[in-house]
Amino acid sequence: MNKLRTVIARVLQVEEAMITEEASPLTIETWDSFNALMLVSELENVFKVKFTLEEVTGVKCVRDIKDNLLKRGVDING
Amino acid sequence: MTPITPAVSTAELSSFSDYLGLYRKLQKQGLSGGAQIKVALLASFTVNGLRESLYLKCAEAGLLADTYVGGYNQIAQEILDPKSGLYACGAETVIIFLDVQTLTGDLLFMPYGPTALDRRAWVEGKLAELLSWVEAVKTQSQARVILHNFEVPAWSPLGILESKLDFGFIESISALNAGLRDAFKTDPRVFLFDYEAFCARIGKDRLRDPKMYYLGDLKLALEHLPALASAYVAYLRPMAGLTRKCLVLDLDNTLWGGILGEDGENGLRIGPTPEGRPYQEFQKMILALSQKGVILAVNSKNNTEEALKAMAGHPSMVLRPEHFAAARINWADKAENLREIASELDIGLDSLVFIDDDKANRERVRQALPEVLVVELPEDPALFCKTLAGLDAFDTLQLTEEDRGKARMYAEQKQRRTLAASAASLDDYLKGLGMVLTIRPADASNTSRIAQLTQKTNQFNMTTRRYDEESIRRFAGSERHLVFSTKVEDRFGDNGICGAAIVEKGDQDWRIDTFLLSCRVIGRKVEEAMLAHIVAQARKSGAIRLLGEFTPTTKNEAAKDFYRRSGFEPRDGVWGYDLAKAFPNPDCVKMIEEATK
Repeated sequence: MNKLRTVIARVLQVEEAMITEEASPLTIETWDSFNALMLVSELENVFKVKFTLEEVTGVKCVRDIKDNLLKRGVDING
Repeated sequence: MTPITPAVSTAELSSFSDYLGLYRKLQKQGLSGGAQIKVALLASFTVNGLRESLYLKCAEAGLLADTYVGGYNQIAQEILDPKSGLYACGAETVIIFLDVQTLTGDLLFMPYGPTALDRRAWVEGKLAELLSWVEAVKTQSQARVILHNFEVPAWSPLGILESKLDFGFIESISALNAGLRDAFKTDPRVFLFDYEAFCARIGKDRLRDPKMYYLGDLKLALEHLPALASAYVAYLRPMAGLTRKCLVLDLDNTLWGGILGEDGENGLRIGPTPEGRPYQEFQKMILALSQKGVILAVNSKNNTEEALKAMAGHPSMVLRPEHFAAARINWADKAENLREIASELDIGLDSLVFIDDDKANRERVRQALPEVLVVELPEDPALFCKTLAGLDAFDTLQLTEEDRGKARMYAEQKQRRTLAASAASLDDYLKGLGMVLTIRPADASNTSRIAQLTQKTNQFNMTTRRYDEESIRRFAGSERHLVFSTKVEDRFGDNGICGAAIVEKGDQDWRIDTFLLSCRVIGRKVEEAMLAHIVAQARKSGAIRLLGEFTPTTKNEAAKDFYRRSGFEPRDGVWGYDLAKAFPNPDCVKMIEEATK
């Protein structure tokens, strides 16, 4: 999930190493409500997808984002 | 005003996160220079990111913006509470952005519960409420107000029947917008921001991302925030006195298609053909700019005679040689030409906008003269008009008679230069001009021009204090101030109002707060005549001393020695004139003093 990790780290302005599958708003201070929206917008731009409202509200940690992307057949590495 | 360093450009940014990234980078790095402005932003929904976008778009335009963002959906509270953050932040400009959904509430979804009568009453009520907000800001602060109008909804439950209804819902919102427009037409402190036009330009279907709206109450998608910020800059730039004055144009492949030296006059593409119309319409838009007061100049690599002949003689040309106040048609360096044009017209390089189709020329000018605004002209002439339409650097806060006649006045200026070249001495020249000065105390007829002069005059300006119309009106209404304008006419024509002064009248000391003269009449003894008027008035009132200051800026070198030359003596950092001495009227000038109040 190299590319996914890079995007999330850039939006949240943290080291990529912090973006583990378990990383969440509870573990990353900058993952606030506004950055969560920025993250949606940026992921949609980069991976050329549109999430549904419930997919977004259902995200509890990075793994959920990854699963949503994989479900759509997105290459999260390249 | 010094340019902002490092220079900021948002031209290459594509996504909103690029904007945030650049904003963070600049915050770390720190910007210097530019004109400092303080803005307050009051919005009815989440505008996270708008402050950052505004910072970048302002920096690009030479403004260093410090923006206060009011509480989420707290417009009324911020405005009506004199102790609110809005008034504490000392903003010079307050932007009020109430969105249509917050304005209408459930009416947006179910507009036809109420009757037409109810809707009329609702519009009246909302209009009164909005006007009372603006009034409150004006009373509680000195700030200017930029008030949004409303996006007219594209949806009605009645569908195609909407227009058949007596005072339908969509009609109600349009009526409210019309009411707002009428309310502030003549108010110099309040500007209506046409948000409805902004929405139409973006496209109403693209305004919102519905999911983001439900998630974060984003009633305008993040990607459009930079465009909104740009639209605000069009108002903020002239408020800071940074309006550009002169448009300098290349000829080949800019004003016409083709290269004159190779294709010949008859081979030029301009006129009623698919290839010729883009250039012709481009010239029409440029002529319209000149009619509202933008000075035009040419900067082209061509043979002078040949180019002027084509401009004068080609049947489809819209812009003729007489529309241009200066021309450098030669084989010299374009940056050097721009320097000469600025000096010939007596304006700063930061008053110039340069349009040239050649990328290398543009780059050369950007490097050599960072103060000049260089337009990124697209390769396809079909896009020229659109590019010019997006250029807001010539926007001013008011349009005066002087602006409308400026093109003619510059043509007359050319004739004066011819007389100057033939006169034996400066005195002969000035006497030959037959100047008549009309001094008029500030009243309704000249207040907006006096305010405009304080905002735009840079060179012969002793203190460079910028005032809006409201301030001038306050000075004029006070018994303790003398405020007047000076109109200059000569045998070649009417230069219009080109001088102004504001003097504080003390019992013993009169203090000159503002004394300025538009550059086109500098050096014609107009300044002496204006000073003679002030001295005469002060002596009549029994004052003992006349005090004046000179505040140096990067541009007012021309005014530096004025008080010394006029017999003032330095004292405690100001210049003083002993009113026991009379000050003679220059004999080349005939003075008319209109009724003092």
